[in-house]
This record gives sequence, structure tokens and C-alpha cells, in this order.
Amino acid sequence: MERLGASNTGAETFFARLMVLAASIVAAISAGLVFYSYGTADGPDGVDVVRAALITISTWWLAWGAAQGLLGLTTRAKPPAARHEGPIRGRTVIIVPVYNEDPQVTFARIAAMDASLVATNERAVFHFAVLSDTRNDLIARDERRWFARLVLERNAQGRMFYRRRAQNTGKKAGNLEDFIATSGAAYDYGLILDADSLMEGATIVEMVRRMEADPGLGLLQSLPKIVRARSRFGRAMQFSAAFYSPVFARGLAMMQGRTGPFWGHNALVRIRAFAESCGLPVLSGPPPFGGHILSHDYVEAALLARAGWRVRLDDDLEGSFEEGPENIIDHAKRDRRWCQGNLQHMRLITAPGLWMWSRFVFVQGIFAYVAPVFWLAFILASIAAPHFAPGPDYFPNPLWPFPVFPPDATFKAVGLAVGVFGLLILPKLLIVIDATASGRAAGHGGGWGAGISTLSELAFSSLTAPIFLLFQTRSVAQVLMRRDGGWPANNRGDGSLSIAESWSASWWITATGALALAMTWVWAPALLLWMLPVAVPMLLAPVIIAWSSLAPLTRLYRVPSDGHLPPIVQLHDSWLARWSAPAASDPPTEFTRLNA
Amino acid sequence: MIDAQTMDYSEDDLVAGLPLAPLAMPKQVLEGHRSGGIWAGLLARFAALTTRSQG
Repeated sequence: MERLGASNTGAETFFARLMVLAASIVAAISAGLVFYSYGTADGPDGVDVVRAALITISTWWLAWGAAQGLLGLTTRAKPPAARHEGPIRGRTVIIVPVYNEDPQVTFARIAAMDASLVATNERAVFHFAVLSDTRNDLIARDERRWFARLVLERNAQGRMFYRRRAQNTGKKAGNLEDFIATSGAAYDYGLILDADSLMEGATIVEMVRRMEADPGLGLLQSLPKIVRARSRFGRAMQFSAAFYSPVFARGLAMMQGRTGPFWGHNALVRIRAFAESCGLPVLSGPPPFGGHILSHDYVEAALLARAGWRVRLDDDLEGSFEEGPENIIDHAKRDRRWCQGNLQHMRLITAPGLWMWSRFVFVQGIFAYVAPVFWLAFILASIAAPHFAPGPDYFPNPLWPFPVFPPDATFKAVGLAVGVFGLLILPKLLIVIDATASGRAAGHGGGWGAGISTLSELAFSSLTAPIFLLFQTRSVAQVLMRRDGGWPANNRGDGSLSIAESWSASWWITATGALALAMTWVWAPALLLWMLPVAVPMLLAPVIIAWSSLAPLTRLYRVPSDGHLPPIVQLHDSWLARWSAPAASDPPTEFTRLNA
Repeated sequence: MIDAQTMDYSEDDLVAGLPLAPLAMPKQVLEGHRSGGIWAGLLARFAALTTRSQG
């Protein structure tokens, strides 16, 4: 068995990390210095120092993302050299954890993947295990019923298994751990999915081949693309995942070295490596910082790497799909869970024996949720700043009889704003150029189509950024106040929201926007124009949330799957149609009744 | 049993539980520096590294 040495990080990986880190730090410090110079034009004070520090930290996070994207543009995704060509030797279990999902839709995905595996002639070495943590007894009854039909119609006795836990201890990680403790020795590899995951049979087989070719590989992560998005928000997310994410993932892959990411699903693990390395302890103290580890995937990746196994993202793999939230509220609900899970990682940064990059990944995850708090603090400090400013000294020299006017520093503020906005838009615009040159834009409406979609997505994300800023800030506050967010089931219906529903979930954002404008008007009227791009979307939050949850009227945000549905999605559709045909023996399921 | 003619079946015939093949999954140690929190932990690791590098 090949294991890793302590100093096995490649020079290329080290250089890539160094470049991205150095570039982001230089950009952040530059932003901080420019701001300090602008802020102290009316006389230096403590608030200027605080604001400069806040903008330095916030800019670092933006610059880090931008640098990762720019790095990703320098190379193309390609398959690894090592690939096992012969018959597959090991046995793989495809693990489908479910939690109050619609069993008809979920099991139709299993039927589709099983049918897709038939075409590879390797189906015999693949089993499916449905691991139910469903709490609702009536949905669980439907799960058994649909599972029986699945097994019958796929002729899968002895290849498909179902079990439901009496208690969902440890949530998804506990569910997986329970499976390995019961059945892990029966398998060499496990493909971990989410209930909404779909993967082509050929992709699954290819992943197993790659793992068989690399005995030191503990986990292989694919890059899932979003399918079936219907709303404006969902399609914007789907476009981002299809058009930008491959480039950002390329950058990440160049920096991953041996300590790549695990995103919790659409990934293949070596069961023995996972079992010996990833038994998660219950953290001391109460939730949200103690108790069971919520965002287990990052921790499992770090533990595999700590044990000497390689964790790798292969961003060249196609045929890996998931579904995404259709509206901002569902996105915020999911983000609330991720926020709690990532902040809990503060407890693990200093865990013994981890690779430095694993610790840095924890820091990144934490920063993703703390950065909006820094931005909000910067805005509040800017509103308060005039109150603390000492005012310009027009007569700095007592021997000089004429007033000296401080230089106009507005251009510095404008320059800084352009620079910060540039960090957001430059990588995306370069991706348009790169995709047009490489032909990848053809699946996104061509060069012009992709360009217009990108500009529209930039405008849309600018509009929604202040709303997410407040949602994320509230999530962080809730976690810090030790309010456990729980794990509500995802809403995977059509996702459209009425104004009333949006208002009930976001009235407080409107109120915050109004309060921010009023405070600016009273305390810092010179900042009013600067505040409008932030406060107006807050004021209009219920309208933006409801509008973006509806189906689009334009042909923006085209993705390759619009023109040609991936075969696995077509298979899923055909199984859903087959199972949705009315039959006397099929009463409405509990899931459809509850969601009617 | 599944009736081949009517395709009637009992769920219990088809809903098979997991194969029994236990594999141990030992709990990992993640809280090595619990006494003083993150900063004390980082300091402790820095001190340990410094000591090691001095020989």
C-alpha cells in the first residue's frame, strides 16, 4: 500500500498556493492602504483604522476567490495519467442517504443510474444501499413500497438494499458510519450520493477505474453540475455552476495537492480508508459548537489526508449532477445549516496532526460566512465615521496665514470601489473570453449569449448580494448566540414564492435597509449615494425574492443540458413518467399528500 | 413471493436489509488542545514546532 510521506507536496502545488495567497494578500493590503489614505483625508481617527482593517480583511476574501479563478484559467482539466483499463476488480456500493425525501423521485434516480450502469457491462459489481433517516413514519412506509417496486422492476434482488434507522444519531455522517459498521467489509468502494444526485453509469465506472489505478487514493470527488433549474434564481445558479465553476474548480484542483476537497456527495471513497480514518467523535460541549460534527465532509477529507490517503478532485469528470435550490429562501435555509457546520470547524483548526492546507480549508469555510459580517461592520462604521472624524485642519501651520484645503480624495474611493468590483467581475469576464476562444461557450448560447448571460448574472448577483449579506450575518449571529438551526428537509418542489411568502421571510431585511438609509441620511448624508446600491435591494428584498423564484421569460443563462438533456437525466425522466402513470394500485403517496 | 402471473409481491420479499459485514470505524482524535481554545492551541503548536526545529 502506497502511503504518503510527510513532505510530499509537489512544487507545482506549492507554487500555485503561494501565488494565489500572495496575490490575494497584496490586493487586500493595497485596498486597506488606499482606504486608509482616503479615510484620513478629513483627519485620522480610530474609526479610520477600524474601517481600513475591515476592508483589508473583506477584500482578501474577494481577492482569494478571484485569484483562484484566474489560476484556473491557466490550464485545462485533463484526466490523470493512472487509469485501470482491465475489468473492475472491487465491489462498489452506491450509497443513497434519504431524509424525508419524495421516495418516488429519489428511487427513480436509482433506477436510472442502475439502467445507466447496464450499458457499461459492469453492473454486477455495483450494489445500491438506501440509508433512510426519514423521521416521518408514513413517508417511510412509502419508501418501502417504492423500494419494493424499484427492486422488482430493476430485477435487483441481492443488489439493492434498504434500511431505516430508528434514531438519526449523527445525521448524515452517523448514517454513513452506521452503514460501514454494519456492512462496510462487504465493499471495496463506496459512491456517496445525496438524495438529489444523479451520475452517469460511465462516470461511476470511470471513477472506480481511477481509484483502482491509484492504491493511495482515499477519496475521489467529481464536480457536480446543477440540472433541472426552472426559476430565475435557479437558472442563474445553474449557469454559474456550469459556466464559472469548472474554471474555479480547475484553480482549486491546481492547489489541492494531496489534500483535495470532499463536498459530501458525488464522490467515491475507498471504504477501508474511510473506515479507519473517518470515525467522527462527538465534540465536547453543547451545540452549535459542540456535539455531532455537522459539516462532516470537510473534516473527513482532512482526516483521510491526515492518515496518509490522497483526496483528489478530478475536475475533468463529466456526468455528475445534482439539483439546487429554486429560490433565495431555500438557498438561505441551506446556507444556515452550512454556516453552523463551518463555524463549528473553529473547534477543529488546531486538531492534532492535520495538514496545514486542511487547516486552511477550515479557515476558508469559516471565512465564507464571516466575510459578510465584516462587510456589514464596514458599512456601519462608515455611517458612524463622520461622528468621530476630528474634521480637517485648515491651518496646520500656525505661521501660515491662509487656509490649507485638504486634497479631494474622492478619486481614491472611486478607484477602490472599481478595484473591489473588478475582483468580482474580472475573472468572470475572462472566463467568457476563454470559453469563446475554446468553443465551450457554444453550449451557453455562443460567445455573445454567454457574455450577455454573464453580465446579467453579475447584475443579478449584485442585486441579491445585500440580501445574502443580511441572511448570512443573521446565520452567524444565531450560531454565535448558540441557537441550533436544526436540519430541516430541503424543499425540492417547484420553489415559486408569493410576495406574501417572501415578505414573511424577509420583512426584517426591508426594515434593515430602511433603517440604514435613515441612519445615513441623518449621520452621513455624503454617503447616501454610496449606500443606495446596498440599501435599495434590501428595501426591495421581498419583491426580488418573489420575482427571482418565478420561471424566466427570456432565454438567458443557457447551459448545455438545455439543448441536449444528459442521458442519465433522460433516463430519470422516463422512470418518473413510468411511475407517475396513474394506476389503481397507486394511491397518492404520503409525500405528495403532505406537499399538496 | 412474487407471483409471476400477476406480478403481485410482498414488500418483505423485496425490501432486503443491509448485508452483514461489519467493519470497525474507530473514533478519531480531533480535540488535542482543548484546554485553551484556538489561540492557545496555535501557540502550543508553534512552540512545539520551534522546539523541534531547535533540535
